[in-house]
Amino acid sequence: MYKKLLIVIPLLLLTGCATQKYVWNGYDDSLYAYYKHPENKQKYIQKLQEIITKAEQSHTKVPPGIYAEYGYMFYEGNNYSQAIVYFTKEHDLWPESAVFMEKMIRDSKAMTDKTKPKGS
Amino acid sequence: MRKIILISLIVLTSGCVTVHKKDYTAFFAAAPRSILIVPVVNRSVEVNAPNYFLSSITIPVAEQGYYVFPVNAVKRVLEDNGLSDADMVHKALAQKLAALFGADAVLYISINRWDARWMLLSTTVTVNLTYVLKDGKTGDVLWADSRFVQYTPQSASCGNIFADLIIDAAQAALTKAAPNYMPLARQANAAAFTYPGPGIPPGPYSKK
Repeated sequence: MYKKLLIVIPLLLLTGCATQKYVWNGYDDSLYAYYKHPENKQKYIQKLQEIITKAEQSHTKVPPGIYAEYGYMFYEGNNYSQAIVYFTKEHDLWPESAVFMEKMIRDSKAMTDKTKPKGS
Repeated sequence: MRKIILISLIVLTSGCVTVHKKDYTAFFAAAPRSILIVPVVNRSVEVNAPNYFLSSITIPVAEQGYYVFPVNAVKRVLEDNGLSDADMVHKALAQKLAALFGADAVLYISINRWDARWMLLSTTVTVNLTYVLKDGKTGDVLWADSRFVQYTPQSASCGNIFADLIIDAAQAALTKAAPNYMPLARQANAAAFTYPGPGIPPGPYSKK
């Protein structure tokens, strides 16, 4: 009985008082893990992809910033065409991101002109 | 056991119910839709604390109904622009940072403490944070808060003083080996952003 309460109460503490608006799917833990072990970047990228897929499949809104973080991973990996795809998605879903995403799309295009992206 | 439950309950209720009187006039006048969370300034002894903390801050702010800029991408873009030092970022004008990303408001966070201090048989883990939200147009402070969260594992007494000593020592060793700050960081964030309470009022996306 007490053991159960001990598990439930910290959970309540962590989630706060209300249910969550977005399905974050462990975004915070995976970013933490990535900062702790940058060599496991691929795992973090996979997690971002999972968050996006799950939200898109369940027709819920992808949480703010997630498309952009995912796009930035492509940007860092010199895959500018894919970066532009996700920066555009962030831009279209969240109008507040417009200035930043337009800059990122411009930068990605400039880089595309400078270098040949891998695999395209 | 009972004590832990009681303490948890007190923390739980105080987190949700405590009402701090703050002046929200400037906040409501600015009515920000988007919040740029810039890299965190570190005044603690743990060099990795700013990055670790950064991973915990997006969710509570976004769940309040604001557009939160992608913290990792923002950090990298600032680095690419010669702002790899968080102290430098915090000294930059809020208006300039806001213009760079098109943000309505900028959230500056400083870590004052992020440490574990161990005595013979117990360890106290402390996280102390300062949050300041500034208007992206005027640079005025819209909201500020400070959180001090501390945790000392209390082992359940089993009535046998020698057995208790062993349990305490084992717990202290465990916490010493890998103090886990993230639950404290999350607790601090949850308490800081609760509204009504010390937090920020619900943003434009607060209704589902």
